[in-house]
Amino acid sequence: MSGDQESPEAVRKVPRLRATRAGAAALVATVVLVVAGALLYDVIAVRAGQPAKRWRAQIADELATRHLDDPWVLVGAGGATLLGGWLLWLAIAPGLRRWLVLRPYGGTSAAIDKSGIGHLLADRAAGLDGIDHLRSRVGRRRIRVAVSGSADPALVQRQLREELERVGLARPLRLDVRTTGWQVAGGGAAGGAGGAAGGGVGGVGEGVAG
Amino acid sequence: MTRTIVNRVLLGVVGVVVLGCGVLVLAGGLDLYRRLGVDPPSWWPLTSPDQPVVSEPSRWRWAGSSWWWPTVIGVLSVLVVGMAWWLVAQLRRTGLSSIAVPTPGVGGLRLRVSARALEEALENGTAVLPEVERAGVRLVRAPRHPRLRGAVRLTPGGDPVGLVEHFEDGPRTDALGSLGLAELPADLRIRVLQRAPVERRHWFRRRRRGHPRVV
Repeated sequence: MSGDQESPEAVRKVPRLRATRAGAAALVATVVLVVAGALLYDVIAVRAGQPAKRWRAQIADELATRHLDDPWVLVGAGGATLLGGWLLWLAIAPGLRRWLVLRPYGGTSAAIDKSGIGHLLADRAAGLDGIDHLRSRVGRRRIRVAVSGSADPALVQRQLREELERVGLARPLRLDVRTTGWQVAGGGAAGGAGGAAGGGVGGVGEGVAG
Repeated sequence: MTRTIVNRVLLGVVGVVVLGCGVLVLAGGLDLYRRLGVDPPSWWPLTSPDQPVVSEPSRWRWAGSSWWWPTVIGVLSVLVVGMAWWLVAQLRRTGLSSIAVPTPGVGGLRLRVSARALEEALENGTAVLPEVERAGVRLVRAPRHPRLRGAVRLTPGGDPVGLVEHFEDGPRTDALGSLGLAELPADLRIRVLQRAPVERRHWFRRRRRGHPRVV
């Protein structure tokens, strides 16, 4: 907690990982290269006095005869719209969503697997008494943890928050802990096995800089 | 990093062109201008559903001009060369076979150290750090100077911050010192194993745990 509070600037400076998009780039480059190369070859051949290839005459003929409301034209245009939107998405979206950046140290920058954070939290909770079941979902902005068992929600929350702080993420995650099956009167131990039997649902959510 | 920017800009340009063509044809074909009551300017293409996609007159509009064919051939040539360059940039290997080491005070001597030797030294140095289960390190090409990429798997309950600090103060500093390099930045990708049994609903997702892959 201490390190994050004093340096919001440093937090903002660590960028998210961005995918290179090498695969998509290679694919698009290949397609454009093939199309442009074929057209260039044929245009030069026609300028040199040879007849145009059949495919080009056919495409030109189709384009000249089919009207805009032709189903094939509409399907093609719809496909082009989707494809263009997808390429634009690839260009803008960061990608590499599996990895969350850690605070860099010296010349070493690091990122941790999202499921690795889930493992750390699960292992920390496994060491506590009275937890039957724990499920965590790690997103890029927050972690949702659902705990069932007779353990004290405040204690679970505190322990998990400590564990999350220990990870040292460059961009803090919110930690939402939902506890089911906790009973105030201390009768929780008896009903611990069937956690949801009579227990209320205690939702504890708190922003955590970790 | 530069390759990421180039890739994303070019993908974005291609995406905008393809998207624009698609939307233009769709808007004309579904007669959106009339239905929405929009009045496009007179030069706006493809406004009526009854017109062909590329009519004969518009195809031959500039064909008679002297500049048309040289322009077409020039643009297509630029496109072919540019795309070939872009493709080659993707296929280029990211790995390096050796790294140049400075030799201060010794004139006329150029020294290169095998990348594999450096990688192995760093791998061994990382594998003995506390809480590390496996480690893989690669030396990769980067704009100004080479970079290290490491994939590290920590034992259950391992400490990521501790690993980063130990790696920086241990293997990386040692490598920099012994090679006399000024800079050799490193990126680590850290995974953590789980001690508690994996939940049942995840059983189909569990993969074989081989050697960590360096990406």
